[in-house]
Amino acid sequence: MSELPAVEAEGLVRTFGKVRALDGLDLSIQSGEILGLVGPNGSGKTTFIRVVAGLLKPTAGSVTVLGEVPPSRRIAADVGYMTQASALYDDLPLADNIVFFGRLFGMTKADARKRAAELAELVALTEKFQTRVRDLSGGMRQRTNLACALVHRPRLLLLDEPTVGVDPVLRRALWDHFAELNAGGTTMLVTTHVMEEAERCRRVAMIASGRAIAVGTPDELRGRTNAATLEDAYLSFSDLDGVA
Amino acid sequence: MIVGRILAIAGRILNQFRHDRRTVALIAIVPLVVTALIGYLVSEDKEPLEVVIVNRDTGAQAPIGIVNVGAELERALEDSEGIEPVASKDVQEAEDDVRAQDVAGAVIVPADLTASLLGGERASIEVVVRGVDSGVDGPVLLGTQRALASLADRLSGLAPQGTPGFGGIEIERVATSGIGALPSIDHSAPVLIVAFAFLFTYLLTGISFLRERQSGTLERLMASPVVRLEVLLGYLLGFLGFAMIQALLILGYIVLVLDVRVAGSIWLVLLILAIMVIGVVNVGIALSFLARNELQVMQFIPLVFVPQVLLGGLVWPVETLHPALRWISQAFPITHAAAALREVMVGGAGFADVAGRVLAVLAFALAMVLVGVVALRRQAA
Repeated sequence: MSELPAVEAEGLVRTFGKVRALDGLDLSIQSGEILGLVGPNGSGKTTFIRVVAGLLKPTAGSVTVLGEVPPSRRIAADVGYMTQASALYDDLPLADNIVFFGRLFGMTKADARKRAAELAELVALTEKFQTRVRDLSGGMRQRTNLACALVHRPRLLLLDEPTVGVDPVLRRALWDHFAELNAGGTTMLVTTHVMEEAERCRRVAMIASGRAIAVGTPDELRGRTNAATLEDAYLSFSDLDGVA
Repeated sequence: MIVGRILAIAGRILNQFRHDRRTVALIAIVPLVVTALIGYLVSEDKEPLEVVIVNRDTGAQAPIGIVNVGAELERALEDSEGIEPVASKDVQEAEDDVRAQDVAGAVIVPADLTASLLGGERASIEVVVRGVDSGVDGPVLLGTQRALASLADRLSGLAPQGTPGFGGIEIERVATSGIGALPSIDHSAPVLIVAFAFLFTYLLTGISFLRERQSGTLERLMASPVVRLEVLLGYLLGFLGFAMIQALLILGYIVLVLDVRVAGSIWLVLLILAIMVIGVVNVGIALSFLARNELQVMQFIPLVFVPQVLLGGLVWPVETLHPALRWISQAFPITHAAAALREVMVGGAGFADVAGRVLAVLAFALAMVLVGVVALRRQAA
């Protein structure tokens, strides 16, 4: 990993009124890795992703994404963002959703159509290609959501709780997709609170109250706390943090 | 700014409507039903109404011999549906009959009608009605108007080149009692078109944008290389197309089914509507940021729409309002758009005649675009 980090955040602060969603977060994502972002609800995971995607300006601190400060058009063109809730047009068929987002990234209609067919195959929804999104099951929507985030072949993929409400079979299938994409060179930031999923990340960043309390490979994190599971490791790190 | 992206957004909006047949049906059918209802209320009547015609026209010399347009009009009135003309000589008596409700109305033809038309001037005839019951006044005015239209067809070619011709005969409405003019379908139609364009554009934009925000697709748009102006322009284009189709539908119905003559340019009508719709799309976007759900988008209707319709000339002509209300009504885009449309559709006005009104609507549109841009900027910061 001699390349520059894909994301470099230093002392990141973001407040919403009195709430400090990010409170001095230091975190870097290496190019080509899958970084798991683990923490309870309200710990700042989504806020961090939105800052990286250029949707929120940090209140203080600095962040660079692919060498630039967000928001920028170049970052937008290289980053794929899969939102927590499936952000899709319910009235439109699956195909039209992907084509629409493809065209926003500057593809021609024909290119976007070709890409949509490819992606439908990737997420195993080829036979639902012309089905309206509202008629898809929850898991299918989530896969469509992923397909939309991948339409422009992003170098950095931001996945915000991609497997919430997804059954175990599909969850495994989605993670297989992620691994495949990662093998193809895509850097990923995945938020989750399923520790089993965190195991599949190269490195895991544990955050609480808007700060990183521990970063390392799953083995390192378990080793440092003598914990049997990542969940136990998280609990000991947050205890330590509370004391400090 | 990239045109392709704007077109993609506009295309997506139209595509969404294509897949939402129920909404489309509603938007197409509701205005027609209401227009038909109003058309029926103000114009239809089963029994022909008695109308006195006082022809004082002395006729004039035309290349083909002596012509008397007043006499031609008498004949045209005989053929006109819904009214039964009765000839008379005395103007005063005719007016008294109207006042006493012995007859539904009276048509008074001035002595110099033929002469002024052949001289290339504008001319008008007087139609006397009571001005109390539009169910009576409407058919009288409509019947007279139809008679004038058929007259214009029959006599076309007689009028000198470059003059208003026989189509240029105007109806001067005189009310013997009651308040001034009650709306006829000619009067209401332009306001209806404007009101429906406003209401549906507002509702559809407001709800579409609310959904865009709630479903998270707006977030996705903002995370893509799209800039806010492109989103705004895409929305404008999409809903503009939609509003124009709707306006054409109502116009077509009014012209083909209700037999209302559109005197001026249809293009000018569409231009005025387009400018207003640009403003309304932005009203929808801005207010959708204040709404939490679709019900709340609707709850803004009494605030943004109802006063405009009440004071904008649909129910009562603006001229008959209390001065204070009239002054308020000048602040409403619907007032100006409807007045301009009426001038164009009924009075045959050209762009120069309604430039002031168009400017007022344009000012509204530009102000709302600014509001829309600010609303979008505040949203995604």
